[in-house]
Amino acid sequence: MKILLVEDHPELAKSIASYLTQEHYICEVAATFDEAREKLILFTYDVVLLDIMLPDGNGINLLKLLRKDGVESSVIIISAQNALDFKLTGLSEGADDYITKPFPLPELHARIKAIMRRRSPHKNNVLTFQDLTADLESMECRVKGKLLNLTRKETNLLLYFINNKGRMLTRQAIAAHLWGDYTDNLDSVDFVYQHVKNLRKKITDAGGKDYISTVYGLGYKLNAGD
Amino acid sequence: MKLNYRYTIAYAVISFCVLLIGFAIVYAALSRSVTQATIGKLKHLNEVVAAQLRSGRNYSQHPARAHVLVRRAAPTDTARHAQLVQVRDEWDASLQSTVSVVRLTTYPVVRGQRFWITSKAVVVEPSDVYLTGLMLVFAWTFVFLLALVVILSEVISWRILKPFNAILRGIQRFQLGQPTTLELQPSRTAEFNVLSDFLVTMTTRAQSDYQGLKEFSENASHELQTPIASIKAKIELLMDSELSEKQLLMLTAMHDELERLTKINQSLTLLAKLENFESQPATLTDMSDLVQATEAAFADLAEMKGLRTTLQLVPEVRVPLDVALAQLLLNNLFSNAIRHNVPGGEIHALLSPTEFTLRNTGHAPSVPVGELFGRFKKGNAALDSIGIGLAIVKRIGELYGHQVDYSYAEGWHTIRVVFAAPAV
Repeated sequence: MKILLVEDHPELAKSIASYLTQEHYICEVAATFDEAREKLILFTYDVVLLDIMLPDGNGINLLKLLRKDGVESSVIIISAQNALDFKLTGLSEGADDYITKPFPLPELHARIKAIMRRRSPHKNNVLTFQDLTADLESMECRVKGKLLNLTRKETNLLLYFINNKGRMLTRQAIAAHLWGDYTDNLDSVDFVYQHVKNLRKKITDAGGKDYISTVYGLGYKLNAGD
Repeated sequence: MKLNYRYTIAYAVISFCVLLIGFAIVYAALSRSVTQATIGKLKHLNEVVAAQLRSGRNYSQHPARAHVLVRRAAPTDTARHAQLVQVRDEWDASLQSTVSVVRLTTYPVVRGQRFWITSKAVVVEPSDVYLTGLMLVFAWTFVFLLALVVILSEVISWRILKPFNAILRGIQRFQLGQPTTLELQPSRTAEFNVLSDFLVTMTTRAQSDYQGLKEFSENASHELQTPIASIKAKIELLMDSELSEKQLLMLTAMHDELERLTKINQSLTLLAKLENFESQPATLTDMSDLVQATEAAFADLAEMKGLRTTLQLVPEVRVPLDVALAQLLLNNLFSNAIRHNVPGGEIHALLSPTEFTLRNTGHAPSVPVGELFGRFKKGNAALDSIGIGLAIVKRIGELYGHQVDYSYAEGWHTIRVVFAAPAV
C-alpha cells in the first residue's frame, strides 16, 4: 500500500515515514505544496497524509485541487489545528479523516487501516491473530471459534491491539484511541488499566492464551508469546 | 455622588453664606437708618423749640414740649459740640417694656442766653419688629434660589457634560477583545477634547497590543504542536526498540511529561480560539440529546469508578450554543464530575428548559470555589489535572450569555449553567 506524507517538518516526517515503513507501507514524503502536487500527478497513492500549514501553500487548497482532478486517494489531514477548529469550521471537508498533532503513531496507523477498510468493505473483513479472530462487520470476536462477550470498548481495544501487534502501546495512546476527544480532562490511564484487565480475563476465561503483556507497567503489547 | 450634585451642594452653601451676609448688612443698615431718621425728626423738634424760645412767648403747654427738656445753661457750661446724640435702652413705663431711647441735645443761644434743649423719642428697633419679616424674606429667597440652582444645574450640567457622559458611555461599552474602536464626537469643551483624544489613542494602542499578544500566544502554542508531535513520535519509535527497563522507564517519564505539555498547550490554544470565537446566538443545540449522549459516553468510566449516575431530563431543550462547543462544555463538566468524585459516589444531572445542573459527590475544594474558574487553578493538587477545564466552560458560557455558577456544600459539588433566553 502506498502512502504520500505531505509534511514540512523534516524530523516529524522522518519519524512518521519510518514508523509506517515498519508497518509495511510504502511511504513517500513531500515537504512542500508543489512537490506534493507533482507527486500526486505522477503517481497514484492509496492514502495521502496531509499537513495543512505548508511553506508554499495551504493543504486544504491542495485537497480541493486533488478532488477537482478526480484523484481517488483517501486523505487524512494531519494538522496542528485544534480539534475544535475542524468541528467549528468544517475544515476537514473533503477529507476522509483528520488527526491533530501531536498524535500517537499507532493511532495514525489505526486510522489508516480503518479508512482502507471503508474503501474496500468486502475485502479482508476478518482480522486474525494466532487463535483470535475479529469480524469487522459483525464486530464479533472469537477465541478458538468461541464467541467472546466483549463490550464495545473492549472490542475496540482488541482491534487496536491486533492492528498494532508486536508493538508497545502506551496507556495514553490506548486512552486516546478509546475515548478520543473525551480523554482531554481525565485520568484515563487508570481506566485503560481496567479495560485491559477485563479484556485479558475474558480471553483467558474463554480458554485463550494471555497474549497481552504488560511492559513494566508503562504500556501493553500484544505478543505471540513463547 | 454625581458631579452636578456636588456642584449643586457647593452652590447652595455659597448662596446660603451670601444671603446670610446680605441679611446682616440689611439688618445693620435698617437699624442705622431708623435711628438716623429719628435723630432727623428730633433735630427738627429742637429747632422748633429753639424758635419758640426766641419768640419769647410761653409755649410750655404746647404739644411740642411733651418730650422736650429745656433748661438754661450755667455760664460755665460751654458747648463742646453743636449737638449730642445718646441712644440707650430704658424702661418705658407707658409701654411697660424696655425700649431704645434716642436723646438729642442741642445748645442754641437765644438772646445771649445759651439753652440746653434735650428731646427724646422711642425708637422701634428692627430686632423687635423687622427681624422676623426680614428673616422670612431671606428664607424664601434662599428657597427660590436653591430650587433654581438645583433645576439649572441639572439642565446646564446635562448640556455641558453631554460630551463627557458620551465619553463615559463609550468607555463602558468598550471591550478590549472586540474589533470595534472607541468613537467619540468632538465637543466645544477643550478639556473634554483632550480627554477623548487621549482615550482614543490609548484604547487603540491597547487594542493593537492586545491583538498582538493574542496572536502571539495563539501562534506560539500552535507552532509548538509540530515539534511536540515530532518528539513524541521519536519517543514512540524509541520505545519499540531494544531497551533496558531503566531506559524504558526514563523514556516513559519523558513521554508522560510531553503528554502533559501537549494537554496544557492544547487547552491554551483552545482558550485562545474561544477568545476569538464569534458566537451566533441563532444556532440552537438540542441539549437533551447531547446530555444523554455524553452521559452514555462516560458511562463506562463512571461505572469503573463505582459511581451511580442519575439523569433527569426534560426532552427537546434547545439552547443557543454551537454543537461542538456544547459537547466540549458537557465533556469538561462530566469528566470533572467523574474525576473529582469519591469511589462509590454519585452524579446527578438535571436539565430543565432554563438550566442545566450537574451535582456530584466529592471532597471539599482546597481553594475558594470562585477561583476554580481561573486558569491553572486546581481544587485538589494531588490530581494530575491541569486545571483549565472550568475556565473553558466559563468562556463558552460567556460567549452565549449563559451563566455558570459553581458551589460546594456538604460533600456535593454543584455546577449550574443558567441558559440565556434564545434570541428571537
